[in-house]
This record gives sequence, C-alpha cells and structure tokens, in this order.
Amino acid sequence: MSAAEKKVVKLISAEGFEFVVDYDAACVSNTIKNMLNSQGSFIENEQGEIRFPEITTPVMEVVCKYFYYKLRYANTASKSIPEFKVAPEMALELLMAANYLDT
Amino acid sequence: MAGKPKKFKIEPFKHPLKLDPNYADNTWLLLESAIHEINNHNASGLSFEELYRNAYNMVVNKYGERLYRGLVDTETAHLRKVAARIEAAQGEGFLRAIKAEWESHNKSVQMIRDILMYMDRIYVKQQNKTTVHQLGLDLWRDVVVRNRRIRDRLLGMLLDMVGRERAGDVVDKGLVRAMTQMLVDLGHQVYCEDFETPFLERTAEFYAAEAAEFVSSCDCPTYLAHAERRLGEEVERVGAYLDPSTEAKVVKVVERELISRQMRGLVDMENSGLVPQLVQDKYGDLSRMYCLFRRVEGGVDLLRQTMGDHLKEGGKALVLDPERQKDPVEWVQRLLQEKEKYDALISRAFSHDKLFVAALNSAFEHFLNLNPRSPEYISLFMDDKLRKGLKGMSEDDIEVVLDKGIMLFRFLQARAGLPFPALGLAWWSCPAWPALEKDVFEKYYKQHLAKRLLHGRSTSEDSEQLLLTKLKTECGYQFTSKLETMFSDIKLSREKMADFKGYLEGQGRRLDVEMTMQVLTSGMWPQTSSAPTCVLPRELEQCTSEFVAYYLHANSGRRLTWQTGLGTADIKAMFGGGARKYEISCSTYQMAVLMLFNDAESLVYEEIEAATSIPEDDLKRVLQSLACVKGKAVLRKEPMSKDVRPGDRFSVNDAFTSKSYKVKIGMVTAQVGGEGRAAGGSTGQGCGDCGDGDREFLERDATDRSTYVYLA
Repeated sequence: MSAAEKKVVKLISAEGFEFVVDYDAACVSNTIKNMLNSQGSFIENEQGEIRFPEITTPVMEVVCKYFYYKLRYANTASKSIPEFKVAPEMALELLMAANYLDT
Repeated sequence: MAGKPKKFKIEPFKHPLKLDPNYADNTWLLLESAIHEINNHNASGLSFEELYRNAYNMVVNKYGERLYRGLVDTETAHLRKVAARIEAAQGEGFLRAIKAEWESHNKSVQMIRDILMYMDRIYVKQQNKTTVHQLGLDLWRDVVVRNRRIRDRLLGMLLDMVGRERAGDVVDKGLVRAMTQMLVDLGHQVYCEDFETPFLERTAEFYAAEAAEFVSSCDCPTYLAHAERRLGEEVERVGAYLDPSTEAKVVKVVERELISRQMRGLVDMENSGLVPQLVQDKYGDLSRMYCLFRRVEGGVDLLRQTMGDHLKEGGKALVLDPERQKDPVEWVQRLLQEKEKYDALISRAFSHDKLFVAALNSAFEHFLNLNPRSPEYISLFMDDKLRKGLKGMSEDDIEVVLDKGIMLFRFLQARAGLPFPALGLAWWSCPAWPALEKDVFEKYYKQHLAKRLLHGRSTSEDSEQLLLTKLKTECGYQFTSKLETMFSDIKLSREKMADFKGYLEGQGRRLDVEMTMQVLTSGMWPQTSSAPTCVLPRELEQCTSEFVAYYLHANSGRRLTWQTGLGTADIKAMFGGGARKYEISCSTYQMAVLMLFNDAESLVYEEIEAATSIPEDDLKRVLQSLACVKGKAVLRKEPMSKDVRPGDRFSVNDAFTSKSYKVKIGMVTAQVGGEGRAAGGSTGQGCGDCGDGDREFLERDATDRSTYVYLA
C-alpha cells in the first residue's frame, strides 16, 4: 500500500527516531512529495517510510513542526500568524535541512 | 524554509569530514548504476532518499558538472542501444517498438528527473543547462528519431499508412497517432520537419494525380462530390491522428490540387459544367460547387463571371429573337421567368451571395439595353396587365406583377449610352444624344396610359395609381408629373360631365345621344395633335355645341379643340332589312363614315372625304377597316381590292353577319409591327350590311376628346 493511501508517513531521523506525520503535512517538502509520488517503485513509496541519515532528531522534530505550521497557515490571509520561533544554535542545521527537503 | 528570505545565500558548508578523493567517482558510480536500473525498469528496491542525497551532495560539493555530464553520457549510450533494438524490428513492429520504447523512455526520464531534482533546481538553473526532462527529449530526438536508419523509415511508414488509408484500407490509427504525438512532444519544429512538410508534399502529389484522373473520367458534379468527400476525409484524418495545426495546411493543399487547379476545366465541362447545371436548375450540385469554389481564391469570381457571360449571351439571344418580339407581353414574361429562375438559383444554391445578385442585375441591364425596343415592350407588358391581366387578382398579387415590371424598368439605362465626347469634339458639335432608354419608356408608357384612360380600358384605377407611385419612387416627380396631369384630367372630366348632365336635367332637357366628353390639358397628352377635326354627324352636333357652350361658360378664356381622332363610339346597326341587329364598337372616324350611310345608298371616296373631312391617310385606313377586312366588312367596296383609292364606291354590306351581338371593328394601323396586334384586338367576327329600309344608326356612347388651351 502506498503512503498516499495510508495517509501517514514515517520519517526516520539519523538516530533512528520515527516521526509519524500526515501524508499532507509531509508533502510540504517537495523532496518528500517527489519521493512518495515518483513513477518508479522506490522503497520509500512501497514501505511508507523515509530514512534521513543526515538529519538529526532535534532538527527533524522542528522540521515536522514546521510542516504542520505551514499546513495550518499557508493559505490564511489573516495577519495574526504566530511567529515560528527557531533557536539560533539550530538555525544553520535547519537551513541545510530546508534546502535539502526543498521546503 | 519558505518563510525566510529566498535570496539568502548559504556559505559553502565546511563539512567536518575530509572528502574522500574518490568521493565523486564513487558517488557517480552509485548513481549511474541506479540510472541503469531505472532504464531497465528495475527500480524497485532502490532508495529514493539515498539517490537524491547522493545527487544532492554531488551538487553541493561542486560536482554538478560531473553529475550532469555523466547523465548525458549514460543516457546517450542507453538510447543507442534502444535505437539498435528499434532498427531490428520488422514491418509494423518497427512502429510498435518505437511506441513501446518511447513510453518506457518517458517513464524512466521522469524518475531520473525526480532523483536528480536537486541538480535541476540548483545546478541546471545556475549553469543555464537543459533540464533533465528536456534533455531526455533532445537525446531521444537526436539519438533515436533522427537516427539515419530510423528517420526515413519512420516517415516512409507513416506516409504509407496514410496512403493506404486514403486508398480505403483500415490502418492502426492509434499507432500513427502515437508517432505524431511523439514528434509533437519533441517540439513542434520536429513534427513539421520530420513529418508535416513531407506529408503535405505527398498529399499534393496524390491529389494532383487523382484530380487528373477524375477530371478526365467523371462529370463535374461527380468530381465535386468526390472532392467534397476528400476534404472531409482529410479533416477527419487530422482529427484522428495528426496535430490540429496540420488541418488548415492540408485542407489548403487539397483545395489547391482538387479545386483551384481544376476549376476552369470543371466550370467549362461539357454537358455537366456550370452552364448545364444552371440550365437544369441543379440546386444541390450548384450549391456544392459554390461552397467548394468559395474556399479558393478566384473561385467565386470564376462562377460569377461564367454565370454573367451565360446570362448575357442567353439574354441577348432572347431579347433580339425576332420570333419572340412578335408578342411583346410574352417577351417580357419570358425575361421575368429568366429573372425568377436565377433569383431562385442564387438564393438556393449560392446562399444569396450579393456578388451573384449584382452579376445577375448587370447582365440584365446589359442585354435589356441591347434592344432599343425594350422600353416599349416593358410598357406594353404593363399596359397588358393593367388592361386585362389583373382581373381577379388580389392586391398583393397585383403589386407583385407591377413590381416585376418596375424591376425590368430599373434595368433600362438612365444615362446616355455614349460616354462624353472624346478626342476634343466640342459637345455642341456632337450629333444628338441617343434617346435615354428610360425616356423612351416614358414616351411609350404615356401613349399606353392615354389609350387606357381615354378608352376606359384600365381595369383598376388603384393599380394605375400604385404603378404611378412606384414610377415616381424610381424616377422622381419630374418623370411622372405629366402622367399625373393625365389622371387628373380624366377625373375632372368625369365630374364636369356629371355637372353637365345635371345642368341639362335641371332644364328638363337631355342629350339625343349618350355622350361623354373629356377635356385634356394640351401638351400633356401624347396623341393630341393639330390634326383637323372631322365633321361630326349632325346627330352629335347638338351635344357637342351644348357642351362647349356650357364648358366655356364655366371656364371663360379657354379654348377647346376637338380631337376626333381619339374617340370611340358604339352604334346599333341593322342589317338585312332589320333582320339582324348588332352593336358595333368603333372609332369616332369609323362612326362618322358609317353614319353617312343613313342618308345614302352608296358613296364614292371623294364624297366621303368631303362629308367627313377626315385626313386622307386616316380615311383610307378607316375605309380599309370597314370594307377590306375579310369576314367582317360592314361596307362593300367597288371594285373589290385591298387598297382604297379615290373613285372607289362604297355601300352597306347587307350580307354582314356575326355570331355575337357586339361587333368590334379594329383599326388597320399603319405600323408594320402593330399589325398583328390590331388584328388580334378586334373580337367580333362578322360581316354585314346595313338594312336598306331601316338604316338607323343609333349613337349610344360616343366619347370624344377636346383640348383646351388656357389663354392668359
């Protein structure tokens, strides 16, 4: 069964922590979206889980939060969107992850 | 992240690990083998994330070019193998192989693009390279489709399939569709160069040959039906498996080959070309011809020109046909039929094209003006309709008939036929301008109208007025003002006559004969002339002098001149000693002559001339009509001859008989052309002579004309 049919995706960090997120939330990342939608039968699509050996657990956690944050506010016109706070020490790693995930 | 400024430039990340010097090679090898797997439909088990990460790292670590180059080489090598496989296929299998390989290639390229997305996003954009997707198309085009051993074979097979379908075979449309779609996907230019241009050339050759064959073996309608079908087929074909942009082009080619290049021959085709179709009212065939010819340049012009020439030629023959001219009413009727026929043709077959209407009108204008007597004939036609043709018709029908007459009238030239004097001739040195055809019409119309009005022959005053209004609309007030005066003269005369009779009755008197006099304005009526007045029988003198006295009393200062040449009379006559009574309708002159025989047994020409003072020419004709018309001579002439000469002796033909009570005596007219009409106009058939014993001619209704001149 493909990830889209299961509606949830398991994202696994470098340390092996598993983050189960909604399919729609995961697709905020274009990279993940392509992985799950590519024509070929890549293992990610077959198993519904993606391993990210270069993304640490804390970063992955923020990334997942951001997925939901983006999903929630992306199409709101309201000006009262809360700020998405990022700890300065994590900023660089997050930027790299964002570049990689095309988010 | 999306929320952050996009232009944020990240400094190259100083990887804590020293890069393995073979890093790029190893990574590329991994990716290359994955690409192979993908191309071989063996992707299951590959990790997207891993491939993506490797490609990502290569780009991030400045090995983008290596990655891109590697991809190009790998794909090129792969497609060469594909091309070899395709080449090996036989027959239609060749196209199927292309189709299958093309579909699989597309799928693979998509997957490769997905895993190399980061390269597409960063490296390709920065270096202005071709994207992976486009690269896949370009390589397929250059390595496979434009392969020397594939290109011509592919084109040949496609054209062959089209050719077979044109010949009626069933071909695998889906396969052709897949091929043309592939070419379009590779770029519109590829489709045009590799397929469309040669396809159009082949189409032109095919239809040129077919046109040559059909034009020599079919008649025109069959050929055009075929051409129409072919055009439909080509449009259908484009819809079925070619790019929509080809439709206009292929249609143009077919139109050029099947119609443009053949149209002259088709129009002139013996027994089935345009003219025979027109003659036979082939609405369907003509309509098709028009629709097809309208599609090509000059097509409609050719049809119009040919129709116009045919009309002019036929019209000329019709208009100048001496046989037809013997009956002007029929002559006009025939022209109207022709006009109606073509009106119907133009509206039914040529979708009421204004150009054709104009051609029709100009043809009529052309040939109608070829016959100088056209105006007279048209006037005679109207005269005929107003005299007898309109009885029992509804007002609308009457108007239709009159409108037709007006329509022909409109074709008459309003302007002088000759252009302005050329070559320095001063205008005053030119001979008189030819009479304008419309003026000629006016002249005849006036004559005919006068006859109708004076003889009370018009069946409907409303129709007369209607026609007058129409003429006024056509030519303006000037044209009809005299005609209107004629109408009002008649109306005033009728009132005057009633007044006169009332006046007599008031005095307890009445006229000896029933008589109607009409007062005409001089100069307004065509027949009025200074011809000498004939001597009226004494029975009438009382009436006329009473009337003149009455009239002049009411209108002092006017001068009345009798126009006895225009009147008519009905007289009762008895032949065979009162055994046979007839009522004879004749002219005033004839009446004046006949009345003489109330007092005399026989008279010689000179005596009649002296007694009536009818001008010589008129008198001879009067006597001819009374004595020389075979079968209805009321007078007998000695010697019996056709001509009337001085010295001839006349007496009442007592043997005159007629089947009907009313006898009409026609006038022998001087004009040759009018002879037939004069004979046809007289109705009563019968001969007779006045009874000797009881020779009483009773004047019943003598209608005389007079002219008044207003003296200032």
